[in-house]
Amino acid sequence: MTPPMERGRINYPQLLETNALIQQLSDESYWLCVTRTVQASKLFPVSPYMLLSYFMAFYRYPELVRKVERHLPAEQIGDRMRNMGIKCANPAMGWGLPSFYLLGREYMINLGLLRPEDALDDLIDVMDFWKRFQLGWHRNDGHLANSNYGHRAQILPERRLQVFHADMYECRQGDALHNAAQAFMAAASQYGFLISCESRISLCNSGPYKLSDTREMIVRDYMDLSESDFPWLDDVARDIPYNNLTVPMAVEGCHIYLLDDWGSFESEPEFKSHHVVGVGLYTSDTLSAGYLPVAMGSRDELTNAFTDLTDKIKAATAKLWKRIAAWTRDQMIDAGAITYFAIAKDIAHVAGCYAVEDWMMVDERAARFRPLLNDEYSNAFLGELVGTMTNPSQRLNEYSMMKHADTPTRMFSHIPYAVLDSGDYTRSVGALRPGHSHLAAKQDRYTTSQGVLNLAEYNRRAQAHTPAVCSPRFRHLCETWLKYHHQSPVANALYCLEQQHSRKLAGRGAGLSRGDIEGLRDRL
Amino acid sequence: MKDYSADSDKFGDEASSPLVEAFHSAVKDLVRQRFAASGRDWASFVFDGAQTSITAEDFAAIDSRMLALGHRYDWSAQVSLAERPAAYKPAAGGQDDLASFSFEHPEAALGVIDAQGWQSCGVGDNVVPFDADLVGTARYVRSSAMVLEFLNHGVPPGTIAVIDDSGGTLTAPILEQFTGVLCAGGTVRSHLGILTREYGIACLMNAKLAGIRDGDTIRMETTARAKTAEAYQQGREMTARVWRLSK
Repeated sequence: MTPPMERGRINYPQLLETNALIQQLSDESYWLCVTRTVQASKLFPVSPYMLLSYFMAFYRYPELVRKVERHLPAEQIGDRMRNMGIKCANPAMGWGLPSFYLLGREYMINLGLLRPEDALDDLIDVMDFWKRFQLGWHRNDGHLANSNYGHRAQILPERRLQVFHADMYECRQGDALHNAAQAFMAAASQYGFLISCESRISLCNSGPYKLSDTREMIVRDYMDLSESDFPWLDDVARDIPYNNLTVPMAVEGCHIYLLDDWGSFESEPEFKSHHVVGVGLYTSDTLSAGYLPVAMGSRDELTNAFTDLTDKIKAATAKLWKRIAAWTRDQMIDAGAITYFAIAKDIAHVAGCYAVEDWMMVDERAARFRPLLNDEYSNAFLGELVGTMTNPSQRLNEYSMMKHADTPTRMFSHIPYAVLDSGDYTRSVGALRPGHSHLAAKQDRYTTSQGVLNLAEYNRRAQAHTPAVCSPRFRHLCETWLKYHHQSPVANALYCLEQQHSRKLAGRGAGLSRGDIEGLRDRL
Repeated sequence: MKDYSADSDKFGDEASSPLVEAFHSAVKDLVRQRFAASGRDWASFVFDGAQTSITAEDFAAIDSRMLALGHRYDWSAQVSLAERPAAYKPAAGGQDDLASFSFEHPEAALGVIDAQGWQSCGVGDNVVPFDADLVGTARYVRSSAMVLEFLNHGVPPGTIAVIDDSGGTLTAPILEQFTGVLCAGGTVRSHLGILTREYGIACLMNAKLAGIRDGDTIRMETTARAKTAEAYQQGREMTARVWRLSK
């Protein structure tokens, strides 16, 4: 991306596209906010930290996405994301990055500190980065976001789905593996809410994928579990050996009819634990070159791994809870705001340019608003911003009927096209400013698939690493090309690469059908 | 007075919430003054003068003026009240007055006592149906101090936690030890609802309760149908009942 001050005038196609992206996020954000659950907590000041995070996003995201793009283009980060269950998926990049920025912008407009025609290069850059990431990441399903696909996320290529499908172990409610997997998922979900300060952004589901006439698969990611980016996990999470864990789950007897851009799902009939009939376990990160099986050698090994991880997560939960319960309000707000703001931080890890001062600090321009953020004001304003949309900037002419709401409202303001004639607009909030945090300083320890690294080494390895499936030889071998060339040596090599750690498929190549996979699976 | 775009909105004039409007009007007044005093045009003011001349102290003054008018804020996180007790409305139902405390929802009322001594005391949205109703001992869990006490000494067997926090963090280290949960807020899709479902703990969310005292024996109709997403979207009641055993 060219720095804002070196660019020519904004043009009409740029504004048309940016406004269309703003409108898509406006419509979908309203739907998500009114149909998903409302967050509440007596422990965390949730609304105050959310509002602070929006300011942080407004001031910092433009420069941070430009910094990331100087190392790796957005669409290539999206390509790499198809091979990892890290915090670049929904709700991070699918919704959080652009929407937090837009929420900050709308907040500033309603404080009278911004016009819709201000910071336009920033706005265009964030929306453009988001669009290209999403298109790269969703390349296989061909949609910009889950919402464009009727709320579905079929991200993964056939070769990865075949490995998940072939290697997962059958289980039934009441058996040892089912009990262990269920206990792990309950403990990990709870831990996820706690490490994310009452938000669900450490958890994400994708899919569904059709396994048979009666079965579907969803892929659930648990992210940021160990000592890594968040200072509050230093020491307390040291025993958790994996920073990210992915559980592919086969479900039978229910249809996943909705999987939204927050990574949560709905099913018919309602999903219950007895619907889970198959599970697997994997880890992945920026350095792993794909999904690595965790204890997938046998049913017993997997059962024991789930149980061991559950014990470690429960111990970390108790330690972390005690740490958090002793925090001041400023510390709680900082942790929550940083969790939200840093929802997209893993793009910097993929690009190998992550910096603590970029992602784990409250920008001084945002921090000045802190005295406004008492609980009552924050709850009331947030309700108006994302629920009733009754702030002045959100109201349209009375003939208007918003998607999903039928009200004359729009969550996020468009850019006025008249700036093309008048030139009366501003480009950018400017360079990054210093930040501060009331939290303990981050220890220089990052749990990765290549061991515990310091940040300089983590960045160095990330910059040097290109997953083989993203190398020039394979990068553009998409599902459409493979449909017609699966018998070619290069297609076979690509499938064998994905299968190298598979218990059932190692070396089997590109010719297998879903039926073949089903025939190879272990039975109960 | 220079042209200030916030003053020329054809369709929107003020926020719905009086507190939001009061705060935002005060901020806009501040921006108006500093913008006029800057002698600059908006383009040069917005990301330079506005960022340096409008400070945390200015926002703190707005907060102080609101409190000086006698307003006290509703609190949602305990730490907010604990750190600024003079700024927030007081709380009831802490550990000190727990013996005399009960949730009293305006739509809930105690019913007649039946032959077995059970008295209807409210309803809630069932998260997951079970094969039998659940009987246990009501224990209010409303603060991190209470959670810490249970964490240190264990949760008594048969505890039905009566909670008004629909989040998943306040009770995180002890949730699994509850036999049941009655939550006076949220929906079946709130974090607490999600977690009780994952743990297989009986739970009624959005409970409208009256008359339950700490230590009461209560019964939850956990055999009732789970409330569906459609029922929430259509505003349709689909509730499970709660009874207390009359002493």
